[in-house]
Amino acid sequence: MMHWKKLGQIFNPLDHDLGGNCEYFAQSPQTLVLKDRVRVYFSTRESQEHGMFVSKIRYVDFKKDFSSIIEVANHDVLPLGELGTFDEHGIFPINPLRVGDKIYAYTCGWSRRESVPVETSTGLVQSNDDGKTFSRIGLGPVFSASPAEPVLVGDSFVQAYNGSYHMFYIFGQRWKESTLTEPPARVYKIAQAWSDDGITWERNDGKAIIADVLNEDECQALPTVLKISERYHMYFCFREATDFRKNPSRGYRLGYAYSDDLKDWTRADELAGIAKSKSGWDNEMMCYPHIFEVDGEAYLLYNGNEFGRFGFGLAKLNMN
Amino acid sequence: MANWIKKGLLFKTADHQQGDWMQEFAQAPCVVVRDDTVRVYFSTRPKPDSGLYVSYSGFADLDRADLFKVKKVSAKPILSLGKLGTFDEFGTYPVSVVKNDEGKYVCYYAGWTRCSSVPFNVAIGMGISNDDGETFTKIGDGPVLSYSLDEPFVLSGPKIRRFNNLWCLWYIAGKKWIMVNGKPEPVYKIRMATSSDGINWKKENRDLIETRVADEAQASSDVFYKDGKYHMFFCYRYGANYRGKEFGYRIGYACSDDMYNWTRMDEKVGIDVSSDGWDGEMISYPHVFELDGKIHMFYLGNQVGKEGFGLATLEEGTLV
Repeated sequence: MMHWKKLGQIFNPLDHDLGGNCEYFAQSPQTLVLKDRVRVYFSTRESQEHGMFVSKIRYVDFKKDFSSIIEVANHDVLPLGELGTFDEHGIFPINPLRVGDKIYAYTCGWSRRESVPVETSTGLVQSNDDGKTFSRIGLGPVFSASPAEPVLVGDSFVQAYNGSYHMFYIFGQRWKESTLTEPPARVYKIAQAWSDDGITWERNDGKAIIADVLNEDECQALPTVLKISERYHMYFCFREATDFRKNPSRGYRLGYAYSDDLKDWTRADELAGIAKSKSGWDNEMMCYPHIFEVDGEAYLLYNGNEFGRFGFGLAKLNMN
Repeated sequence: MANWIKKGLLFKTADHQQGDWMQEFAQAPCVVVRDDTVRVYFSTRPKPDSGLYVSYSGFADLDRADLFKVKKVSAKPILSLGKLGTFDEFGTYPVSVVKNDEGKYVCYYAGWTRCSSVPFNVAIGMGISNDDGETFTKIGDGPVLSYSLDEPFVLSGPKIRRFNNLWCLWYIAGKKWIMVNGKPEPVYKIRMATSSDGINWKKENRDLIETRVADEAQASSDVFYKDGKYHMFFCYRYGANYRGKEFGYRIGYACSDDMYNWTRMDEKVGIDVSSDGWDGEMISYPHVFELDGKIHMFYLGNQVGKEGFGLATLEEGTLV
């Protein structure tokens, strides 16, 4: 059983100038640990005409013990993609990865469709200024749909273990047709891919690695993995496919799985050691988790109610 | 220099309409030579729905002894349109067919989806036939060849060949969308990938054919092997205002010793637009095949095959 101590909401976008017309949302916090600070990237939203919006990347720098904020970025950390590209209408989320003295990031790019709202793919970008800005390695995605993973490849989280790269990500199995009360609803699952160079990836096409606990329409998102001792711990979020936006009993909550060989994963939500609060900012929803280590301590960042409209919070693992 | 003798418009869609799905167009012909017939797969369309087309693929069986005799036309499409939100929801065009090691027909096709900032995106799918090429079952709901770092969008026009135990796929990949009179238009170039099994592909990741006109778009990279050389007939157009004679499609030619490195020699192509008639404004989408000692070309005329496709036959001994 994991034991987490909630430290509360640590970032609310309304308290900061994020630049552009960005106001609400700081979604899917993900970290890059620097010498004197922890840089937490997140996606905020810039509104456009006709009630549409695009997701853009910002970051906030915390002291390494999270006692205070050093700086909040109000510039575009990564510009949106060009006309007709996979990440033209948003980047959400971004997963930074240090490789030697280089800093890369895997992104989830969004582009709008006609019959369904959106399609996504995974991009790869690079930084030459300690993660202040990133630029693309190519206009297209590094990882996208395949015969058995037909839509919505994204949420990539990459780590190097035992000399090769492991990607945990999600793929869409299908879209469910719209109904009188629901727009088209996507169904997506967590999967795993492997690579020697971070660019060419192998996958078990269409194989979901995390068992459903709700039903076959369960939507699983944002896997994040941390190795502690000899065990790999995965957190993610999951929900029902429909009526999940405003109905807390069907909305996102955190799930947990573990593996000792990076191949077979045992789902064990009952061991997650963290759940929605009785009241407050995370009492209706918990989503988009990110686990990481700083100075020997393990932390969990996550979003609360309304998909992170009011920012994110932190929990610390009791290592005993 | 090749000398192509034009034989005229061979397949007029208006004479062979099927159901509501084959009303206009016979595009991108591709041949399978059978015992008594030559089967030509091509792509066709219903009447447009609120100005927008979907496209299907079908076939016509031509008399092997007299190609102008149409013996049979497919009563239904060879491929279904894709499910909600998938890459081929709005079109399966064009298609290219070859036999696999088990003697089954396999097709590669371009699947079309509709986007919001640009009109469409395209990726390449694969199907296998269990009824001798009458219909094809997709190997999955997703594409077999999709977007990547260097090929960001519009992967279309697959032409499958099998040379030296290798599956070879020539296709086009989008480079950029340009705005012409306020409308996005795609620029695409001829590319190539190879595979040992027809499913897992290694992209060459480079443009094969040099560009000659402004924002040139290249298509229909049709390769055949003859007299110790690989010959490619293809078509190309200007990036802008290409729907008329001046900047519209023409057929080009390139030659290679190894099928990877190509020399463009349009001056030897030996076919051009006619002074008037069905191919008086543009010629495009060549497909060259050998039949009973002769070399033939199917190709499209004005409005990229809106009326149907025509035939030209090579004067013996004039292949470059």
